[in-house]
Amino acid sequence: MKASLYIAISLVIAVFAVMPLISSSSIAYMLGLAFIFVVYCVSWDIVAGYTGQVNLGHTVFIGIGAYTTALLSSGRIGMHLPIWITIPTGGAIALLFGLWIGVICLRLKGYYLALVTAVLPLIFIQLANIFSGIFGGYEGFSVGLSRGFSPDISVRYYIAMLFMLVSIAAMYAIVKSRMGVKFRAVRDDEELAEAVGINIVRYKLIAFCISAFFAGMAGAMTVHYRLTVGVDLFDIPLMLAVILSVITGGIGTFYGAVIGGFAIFIAKNWFFRMLADALPVPVSDDLLLYVLLIVLILKMPEGVVNRLEAFLSSRSQ
Amino acid sequence: MNLVEIVVLGSIIGGIWALVASGFSLVFGVARILNFAHGTYFALGAYFAIVLDRELKYLMPELPSLIFSIIFSILIVGLIGVAIYKTCIKPVRKYEVMVILITLAIALLFEKILLAIFRDTSVSVPFPISGVITVSGIPIPYTRLMALLVAILIIILLERFINATKTGKETIATSQDMEASMLIGIDVEKVYTIVMFLSASLAAVAGILYSQIYAVNPQTALRVLIYAFAIVILGGLGSVRGSIIAAFIIGFMQVTVSIALEARWAEIAAMVAIIAILIVRPRGLMGVE
Repeated sequence: MKASLYIAISLVIAVFAVMPLISSSSIAYMLGLAFIFVVYCVSWDIVAGYTGQVNLGHTVFIGIGAYTTALLSSGRIGMHLPIWITIPTGGAIALLFGLWIGVICLRLKGYYLALVTAVLPLIFIQLANIFSGIFGGYEGFSVGLSRGFSPDISVRYYIAMLFMLVSIAAMYAIVKSRMGVKFRAVRDDEELAEAVGINIVRYKLIAFCISAFFAGMAGAMTVHYRLTVGVDLFDIPLMLAVILSVITGGIGTFYGAVIGGFAIFIAKNWFFRMLADALPVPVSDDLLLYVLLIVLILKMPEGVVNRLEAFLSSRSQ
Repeated sequence: MNLVEIVVLGSIIGGIWALVASGFSLVFGVARILNFAHGTYFALGAYFAIVLDRELKYLMPELPSLIFSIIFSILIVGLIGVAIYKTCIKPVRKYEVMVILITLAIALLFEKILLAIFRDTSVSVPFPISGVITVSGIPIPYTRLMALLVAILIIILLERFINATKTGKETIATSQDMEASMLIGIDVEKVYTIVMFLSASLAAVAGILYSQIYAVNPQTALRVLIYAFAIVILGGLGSVRGSIIAAFIIGFMQVTVSIALEARWAEIAAMVAIIAILIVRPRGLMGVE
C-alpha cells in the first residue's frame, strides 16, 4: 500500500514536470496558479482541520504576504529589494499577523470566532481602497515584468511547482509529527488535551503561525507569478474557494486539501469558464462555484473524500 | 460639525438599521442561526420594488403602483427568506459552521445574479413625495422623515407582536428553551418559519426605505451585513431590544464618522467596533450563548 502510494505520487509529479513541454502556455500558466492555490488550501486546513478553529479570515495572511512583497520590491514606496528577500518577508509579516489573530481567537468560540475572522479581511480591503495612492485601490497594481520570477511561463511554472512541493512536504512533516497529534488532540477535546498536559494555548498559536506563514508565502509567490497584486487576494470569493476545496477533499485529512484545491481550481478556471460561455444565460464561473458549494454542503456536509472512504469501507466489510 | 445634523441624520439611518438588525437578531435568538444572507433580503427588497413599480406603472397611476410594488416586494422577500430556510439552512442547521458557509454562498450567489441582471449600477425607489423641512438650519427631505416614521412604527408593531400575541410569546419561549417549548406543545418549526418570514420582510422594508434615500447596488447586501453584525454585537446577539438601541448608536456613529472623515471610514469604524467589542467581551456586550 505504502509503496503504491509513493509510485502514484511520483507519477503525478512526473506528469506535472512534463506538462509545460506538451501543453500550451495558457494551460501551464493556469496550472502554476493552481499549485499556489493548493498551498492556500493546505495552510487553511492546518488551523481549521487540525486544530478545529474555523478561521474565515485566512485571506488576510494571503493578502498581507502579497502586498508586503509587492510594495517592497516594485518601487512603489521607493524600495526595490530583491524578491528573494521580499517573499520571505511577506511570509514573516503574515506570521506575525497570524500570531496576533491567534491571540484574539483564543478567547472566541463558534459564531463569534467566525464573525471576527470574517470581518478582518474586509478591513484590509477598505484600507487598500482608501489609501489607493499606496495600495492601488480595488484594482491593485502591477509589479512589472522585471519583478516576476521569469519572463518565461514554463520557468515560472516550475518555480510554482517546486514551491508547492516544498510547502506541502514541510506541512506534511509538521502534521505527522508529535505536534500534529497535539493539534488534533486540541481539536477533538480541549479539556482532555489540557488534562493530559498539552498546552492548548501554545499549540493553537503555533498552528495559526504555521498556517499564516505558508499562506503569506503563497500570497507573495502569487504576486511574482502573475505580476499583479489586488484586493482579490483578500476577498471573500477566494476564501470561499479555499473552503470549498478543503470541504470537497475532506477537512483535516491533509491530502484532501491537496486534491480538493487542485480539482476546484481547475474546475473553476477551466471547466466552469467553458460551461459559463456555453450556457445560453449570462452566468459567470463564480456563480457556478457558489451553486456547487451550496449543493455540496447540502448533499454531504462531511466532505466528498470522507463520504467516499465511508462508502468504500462499508463495501469491504 | 453640527450636533443637530448628527442626531437627525443618525436617527434616520439608525431607524433603518434597527429594522435590519432586529430581524437578524430575532433569527439568531430564536433559532441560533447566524444568517449571512440577511443583507441579501435588504437588497432584494429594494430591487423587487423597483422592478415591480416599473412594470405596474403602465397599468395604474403612480401612487397605487408604488404601494402595490412595495407590499408585493415585502411579501415576496419574506417568502424567499422562508424558502431559503427550508431548502438550504434547515438541512444543515446542526453544523453551525455550515450554516455560515451556506448562507454566505447564497449571499454571493444573489450578488452575482443581481450583477448579471442589473449590472454594476446604483438604483433608487422613486418616491412621489417631494419637499423639504428645515430643522434649525438643516434641510431634511420629507422622504427621509417618512422613512424614520415608518421605521419607528414598524419597530413598535414588532415589539407589540412579540410581547402581546400568542405567536410572539411562543417565539420568546422558543428562544429561551427550545426543548421545553416543544414539551409544552409549541410547534417550534412553525415558530422558526414565522421568524424567518418576519426577519426577511423587515430587511426588505429597510431596503426599500434605504433605497428611496440613498441607492442600492448588488454589493449593498454585504455592506449592510457588516452594519448588522456591528449592531447585534453591540446590542447582544439574540436580543431584539438591545439591537434596536444599538442600531441608533451605530447610526449616530456612522453619520459622525462620515461627516468628520469620509463615508468609507464609517464602514471601517463599524468593523473595528465589532472586533474591539468581541476582544474585550468575547460573547458580545449582552449576548446569548
